[in-house]
Formats: sequence, C-alpha cells, structure tokens
Amino acid sequence: MTSRIQKTQPRRVNVWLHIALLPMLISALVAYLTSTLWTIGLSFTASRMFPNSRFVGWAQYERLFDNERWSLALNNLMIYAIGAIVLCTLLGFLLAVFIDQKIRGESLFRTVFLYPYAMSMVVTGLVWQWILNPEQGIQAFMHSVGFTEFNFNWIVSQEMVMGCIILAAVWQGSGFIMALILAALRGVDAEIWKAASIDGIPVWRTYISVVLPMIKGTVITALTLQIIGSIKVYDMVIAMTRGGPGLASEVPAKFILDNIGLRSNLGQASAAATVLLVTVVALVVPYYFYLKHQKAKTGGQH
Amino acid sequence: MNVHAQFTQASQGKPTHSRNKKKIRFSPARLGLYAFLLFASAFFLLPLYVMLVTSFKTMDEIRASSIFAIPMAATLKPWIEAWSSACTGLECGGLRVGFWNSVQIVVPSVIVSVLIGALNGYALSLWKPRYGNLVFGILMMGIFVPAQVMMVPLVRMLSTLGLFGSLPALVLVHTIFGMPIMTLLFRNYFQSVPDELFKAARIDGGGFWRIFFSVMLPMSTPMLIVATIMQVTGIWNDYLMGLIFGSADTAPMTVQLNNIVNSAFGERAYNVNMAATILTSAVPLFVYLISGRWFVRGIASGAVKG
Amino acid sequence: MRPAAAIATVVACALASLVTSHCKAQTAEVLHWWTSKGESAAVRELAEAYRKAGGTWVDTAIAGGDNARNTAITRMLGGKPPTVAQFNATQQFHEVVDEGLLSDIDAVAKAQNWDAILPEPLRAFIKRDGKYYAAPVNIHNPSWFWYSKAVLAKAGVTAEPANMTEFFAALDKVKASGAIALALGGQNWQEAILFNTVLHASGGAELYRRFYGQTDGAVALTPEFKRVLAEFKRLKSYVDKGSPNRDWNVAAGMIIANRAGFQVIGDYVKGEFLAANKVAGKDYGCFPGFGAKAPYMIDGDVFVFPKPPKSAAAETTKAQMLFATVVTSREVQVAFNLKKGSIPIRADVDMASADLCTQLGLSALKDPSRHLPAPEQLASAEKNAAIGDAITKFWNTNQSVDDAARAFAKAAAIRI
Repeated sequence: MTSRIQKTQPRRVNVWLHIALLPMLISALVAYLTSTLWTIGLSFTASRMFPNSRFVGWAQYERLFDNERWSLALNNLMIYAIGAIVLCTLLGFLLAVFIDQKIRGESLFRTVFLYPYAMSMVVTGLVWQWILNPEQGIQAFMHSVGFTEFNFNWIVSQEMVMGCIILAAVWQGSGFIMALILAALRGVDAEIWKAASIDGIPVWRTYISVVLPMIKGTVITALTLQIIGSIKVYDMVIAMTRGGPGLASEVPAKFILDNIGLRSNLGQASAAATVLLVTVVALVVPYYFYLKHQKAKTGGQH
Repeated sequence: MNVHAQFTQASQGKPTHSRNKKKIRFSPARLGLYAFLLFASAFFLLPLYVMLVTSFKTMDEIRASSIFAIPMAATLKPWIEAWSSACTGLECGGLRVGFWNSVQIVVPSVIVSVLIGALNGYALSLWKPRYGNLVFGILMMGIFVPAQVMMVPLVRMLSTLGLFGSLPALVLVHTIFGMPIMTLLFRNYFQSVPDELFKAARIDGGGFWRIFFSVMLPMSTPMLIVATIMQVTGIWNDYLMGLIFGSADTAPMTVQLNNIVNSAFGERAYNVNMAATILTSAVPLFVYLISGRWFVRGIASGAVKG
Repeated sequence: MRPAAAIATVVACALASLVTSHCKAQTAEVLHWWTSKGESAAVRELAEAYRKAGGTWVDTAIAGGDNARNTAITRMLGGKPPTVAQFNATQQFHEVVDEGLLSDIDAVAKAQNWDAILPEPLRAFIKRDGKYYAAPVNIHNPSWFWYSKAVLAKAGVTAEPANMTEFFAALDKVKASGAIALALGGQNWQEAILFNTVLHASGGAELYRRFYGQTDGAVALTPEFKRVLAEFKRLKSYVDKGSPNRDWNVAAGMIIANRAGFQVIGDYVKGEFLAANKVAGKDYGCFPGFGAKAPYMIDGDVFVFPKPPKSAAAETTKAQMLFATVVTSREVQVAFNLKKGSIPIRADVDMASADLCTQLGLSALKDPSRHLPAPEQLASAEKNAAIGDAITKFWNTNQSVDDAARAFAKAAAIRI
C-alpha cells in the first residue's frame, strides 16, 4: 500500500521527511548514541574525576558487583519499582474511577491530587521526613493526644525505610496517573455503559472486565513512564533519607551520581549506568519482537 | 481540509459525559465514595498543610512547636523574605531575581521541544521512514544514560559550536533532553490516527508539511497541551541544565530556590524555605489550573486506542 | 620576574584606584557556595575588600559544594570558566591541578610569604609540585564537641570531660536527667564526623593518621582501633530514636532548645547558635577534643583560579592575582572570619573580638603539634567514601566489632 501512494506523490515529499527528522537524527546519533557508547567505553577505563583512557578491562564491573552498596541499590530499586508502580497505578485508577462518578467539586479534587507533581522535591521531601520522623511527626502527634501505643517509625528502620520512599512517591506520582486514566475513561464510548447497564452487569465489574481492557493502551503508557521514573528516582531519596539510615535506602541513580560527583569515579559510575542500560535493553528487546510477532499474526494492520 | 473537518467531528461528536443510566443520589455507596475521596485528599494535603503552617511561624516557634501546630503569632515575613530579600549569595534579592529568567527559558524551550516532538512523532508513525524504529530505539536507550554523564560531551560540542553559556544553548539542551519522552508521546498519539484519514489527506494532494500543519497539528491540540504541561513542569523545575549551560545572568529561579533552601553549612530558615518552595511551584500550578479541562480531554483522544 | 611585575602592577593599581580611575577595574566572576544569611554577610566582606582594591566582583553563588564544584569544572571544560572558584581542600583538587585546568598563584604566595605564615597541613595541601594552586581563606574544624550549658548543669555535669571515660560518664548523667544525651543527625557524613572525632580524640592523632594515610588497612585490625570502634558504637545508646536522616541543624536546634546535651559537629554550627541569639560560654560550650593538647583538625575553603581563555588571559590573570592578594591579606582575613565563624589562615592577626570557641581554635592553631589534616586531605575520595560506607553500616546495623574491623580494613585498602 505504501508503494502505491508513493507512485502518486512527487519525490520531494521524502526529502522533506528526512529534513524534518534531521533534528532527531542529529540528537540521536550525536548526543544519545555518542553518549551511550561513550558511557560504555568509560566503564572499561580507570576514569576518575576526568575521563581518561587507561583501559582496565572488566575491573570496574568486578568492583561494582563486589560492592554491597550497589547490590543494595539494585535490591531497593526492585522494591521501589514494584511498590511504587503497583500503588501509584492502583490509587491513580481508583481516584480516576471515583472522580468519574459525576461527583461534586471534581476540578477541586483533581487539583488536590495533582498538585504534588508541580512541587520541587527538595523541600517536600524534607517535610515528609519530618512527618514520618517518630520523634517529630505522626507518631509523636499520636502519642501527644494519648495513643501511646501507636507505632510508626518506618523511616528510621533499616527494613521499612523504602516503604517511606514509596509512600512519598505515591503522594507525588499518583495524581498524574489519575489524570491519565481519567482521561482515558472519559474517552470510553457511552454506549458501552448503556449496554452493560441493560445487561445488568454491576458497575465495578464493567470497569474491570469491559473498560479496563479498552484503556489498556493508556495503562501501558502509564507503566512505561513509571518504569523510567523508577530507574531515575533520586531527588526523593536525597531529600528524605540521603540513602539512609545507613545504606538502607540506596538506589542506583544515587549510586551513579555519587560516583560521578562526590566520589569522583566516572569509571565506576559508567559501569553502573551500563548495567542498568543492558538490563533494560534485555527486557525490552524480547518484548519488541513479541509485539512484532503479534502484529504479523493479526495480519499486519495496526 | 474536508478530511480534517470530518475527523474532528467524529472525535468531538463522541459524548463524553452522557452516562444517562447513572443517577446522582446519595446511597451508602456514594457516601463511601466521598469518604474515600476526602480521606485521599487528607493524605495529599497533609504535606502542604505542614508547609503552610511552617511558613507562617517564626524560627523560634518552629524549634519549639510541633510540626502540625497552628502558628501562634502568624507572620507574613517569611513569604516576603522568600520573594524579595532572602540571601542567595552576595546578593539578598530572594526568588524575584530569577523569575523572568525562568520565564525566558521556559517559553522558547517548551515551544521548541514540543513542536519537535510532535514533528518527530508525526513523521515516525505516519511516514514510517526505514530507519525510524532504530533511531527511536536509540532515543529510548538514551533515557537511561544519566544526564550528568552526557554533560561533558555535550559541553564540548556546544563550546565547539560557540554556543556554550547562552540562552540558545539552554533551549537546545532542553530540546535534546526532552526529545525521547516528547517523541514517545506523539508517536503513540499519531499511531492512533486511522490509516484512512492519512491516505485521504495524501490523495487530496497534501504534502509533508501541509498535512502536518493543517491536519495533524490542529487535530492534536489536546495532546500539545498535555505535552506542554509536562515540559513546563520539567523545565520550570530544572536546575542542573540552567546552571551548567546557561550563563550567570540568565540563571533560572530554581537556582535561587536551591540557594535559599539547600545551603549545606549555613544556618537554615525553614519558614522561608517552605514559602520559597510554594512560591516557585506557583507557575506550573497555574498552568495545571488553566489547562485542567484540556489536559484531561487531551489525553483521552490520544490514549483511547493506545 | 614577570609574575613579580604583575604583582607590582596589581598593588600599584590597588593603591592608585583609591585616588584615580587610571587603572581599569579588574572583573572577577567568583563562583562559590555561600548562600545563607550568615555566609552572605561573610562573603560581602571579601567582595567589599576586592572592590576597594579596584576590582569588580561578579557573584555566582550555587548552594551545595558538589553542585558548585561540578559547575565550575564543567565550565572549565567548556572553555568559559569563572575567574575564581571556591573549592574544598580535598584530593579532588589535586586531580584538577593535574588535569592542567588551574593557574598557579605562586607569585602571590611568594610576595606574601605563605611558606612561613600558613599552617603546615594547609600549606602541604595547596602546594603541588612546588607551586601554590589555591588561595586558602579560612580554617574550619569539622570535629568539635558542643553542649548545652543548661542541660549539663541540670544533669550535674560540672566540668568538660577530659577523656573518653569522663565523656561517657557525662553522657550517662545527662541521660539520667531525662534529656537526650547526644544529638546526632543520622546521615552518613555526620556519622563519619562522629567516628573521626572518636578516632582522634580517643585513639589519638597517630592512629588516625595511620588509618587514613596508610594504604594496607592493617591498622584497623589492631586492638587500639577495635577499642575505638567499640566506643563509637557505645555512643549509639545515647542517641534518640529520631536520629536517622536528621539534618545537622535540626540536631543543633536540640541543643539550642535545651533538649539535648552534646553534639559533635563542625564549627559552622555557630551560625545556628548565632541566629538563635545564643552566646558561647554563656548558653553553650565547646571543646575541640579532650584536654589542652587535643589534636585540632584543619579543613577549610580555598579558592582556585581556572586557566583563563586565551582571549582574556592578561586581564583575567591580573584579576586573579588581585583576588588572591586581597582575600589572604590580614585585614580581610580578620573581617571575613569574624563573620564566618571560622579561623583565619594565618596566625599573625588580631582576633581579640572573636568568641570563646574561635579563641580556642586560634590557640590550637598556634601549636603546630596539634595540627591534624582532615580525612579528605589524607585519603582519596574513593577511599573516604568506602570508609564512610563502613562507618554507616557499622553504626546502623548489628555488625560485630570484629566484622566491622575487617570491613574498615578492606575499605582503607581501596585504591585505584
């Protein structure tokens, strides 16, 4: 079909296409491909504060995986990604569905749920740190009003501190997920609701089994954005715990940035970034071929 | 042209709010619904509450009182200080100093990055160049290279071009760093445009630019607004790029914010910090408020078909 | 002779500018991280003096040493460096020198006789291959004890502890009185300050130097070092439950509000005391270690001078020389450090109007046998970071002293 159209079109059209894509081509090849390769290259050198070309083979990787801090960071990334993505998506979905019930003050609620997205994390993270601090925040408040048994000290605990980071992430991110999903819900054909209601299907079941599959695309977009966000999570951790107590809330982005800045070990940072990159590519490439395969099966139309 | 009209009619004709069967009445279920929303609101507003009460207290009171306590003698001084007299270095001019710089950075950066993202998405998903997937794949991989690692090569390139340390450099850098997500958004959006529509436009004799400007761009107004909101938030809150690629006299407001709230060893005024943070977020918040309606409808028209 | 001539011009211009505008004003863009109210007042002393000497000060302030340093370096690589940039006295400074990005200021150093007037750790540090590459402006000691007079009086502690045993006894009394004995911000760097303080105050300067200076790490396995580890960990029983993640100034606020007895932190904390109208010797007390001969850690801020782009080389070099001359001069040192709460880089000045804690520091500075370099001067960033990890792990988990000693030994043996 493409070839038929091209016959009817003058050739200059394709010239314009390539010209229009020049900024992207240049950025992809000059900025992104170069930096990606550069990063991979640096990971095999002994670069410290400044890039150098002293080749050290796999030494940076050996050191990386010998480093408890890095394995903790990867572990925490898993906890964070699963926890934050599940909770943000669930809460975002629930809020969207509830707001979609023709409620009063919809725009007020929507703004309340969305405002954290605009706030700089430097200070809001500090406020969360205060709120969660057992001597200062919620626990202290509950004790002061008489509930002396009340116990909420996750942020000072080695085991539970990631829960606090997730909590703040849910606070900051679920409003945006809500907006995305609400938008998708608004796009669902009203006929669906009529049909479901005539068939006597309860509202909640309609959402789960009819509407949810229809907005699958949006849910996948939301998940993609959240996965990217999880891998880059940094500000929140810095503002709330700086990776503490001890090393308990260390995350990969912080590990990498610490190595670039404070520790002046560009080689190590590059090795860590390369490991993340390779992991993501290893996860995405099979998915891409799976999609291609699916498309081929359904006859090539999108 | 007729194609455009046809399509917009089709998409806008869809009733978005007429869910006739559901009546508004107060059943236990609805009470539960409101209870949930109010409870969720309390969770979302709790940090803002702490920030607000703190911002109206004096430092002595902050040291002595609970973080949840209402200020005993509320004062506006921290707000005035944050805006116009907090020290940010040799000068003590508050956030005010960088406000217009931020506006000057945000406006061109958002326009350029969103337009290029739209153009990329349009070209990739409708014209399907052979190298499209490969180049897009490179962009998406690039997301995982930490910006700080990209700094040194970028700085070297820009200084070779003689652009380093200027507003155009900053706009360029924001465009490059925003490109993967912007392209992703528009690529997925334009993929949901029916084949028939694009074919019809081409048979009508529309060229590459004409279809983009007279059919696709107007059609994607809602998506443009979504992208604008994402970019305004991101670029307004950016600190690193403004610091490194801009010049000293164009430093954005976030540099002042950081200087106010983040001094490592200087004494800290939490009340001023809270006020400064709320003030800084005012611009993106304002953008959310005025575009809330389109924001929601915008995502809808793109995301339905995923 | 050329540098000397440059100095002569600079000084002549400085003098001349007082009466005529014959010499062109030397513009210096100064990149630093002093942004709080107190710091701002101090940096104004430098700017004012520079202006009086005929220069023009263009201020680029970026909070947070890391951010500021990275920006300065990126701009050096991009060919648009600031004229002057603040730096820490860390080994990273040596890397920047070795990379060839900085101009030396040997001419100023010779003219001012830095070889004779600077304290040894500082001098050894900023001199690289026989040349001075930085102008020091102040001395901070990151390792001080602070206490609330009211809390200690109430607990019945009458004298400052003179050794670790007395310190523990004092902590016990404060704890028994119901106050928090030790206010600690449980962040990695504050835990490291506490550890280093115990290491040199209890283990002694020699043990400290061996641990940071030697590269085999074996010293960590000695009984003396293990005793230090045990003492450090024992301090945890005096810290409250809210300690983890707490900022240092919140911890200082606990001393100010008389809720806690002691805090171990750098002398920048005086800014917090000052802002809360607390007076040294009346409301709070301070001591840099146990006894009159306690080691005194010397750390501080320096300014470095990036090599200027060729187009403006002559002008920029003049501005840099003028800057280095002005900020290290006697009068500016006194004025600046009184505001900053730190100690001048030279002992030949009159600081009679400084507070009690600064006086203690000054007397320590006059005794070279007490000088102790900061960890960042003795060990690489890498090694310090690894040691920092070991410290925070030991402090926050149930690791045994023996396991910790092995971890410390491994960390101290790290090098690239």
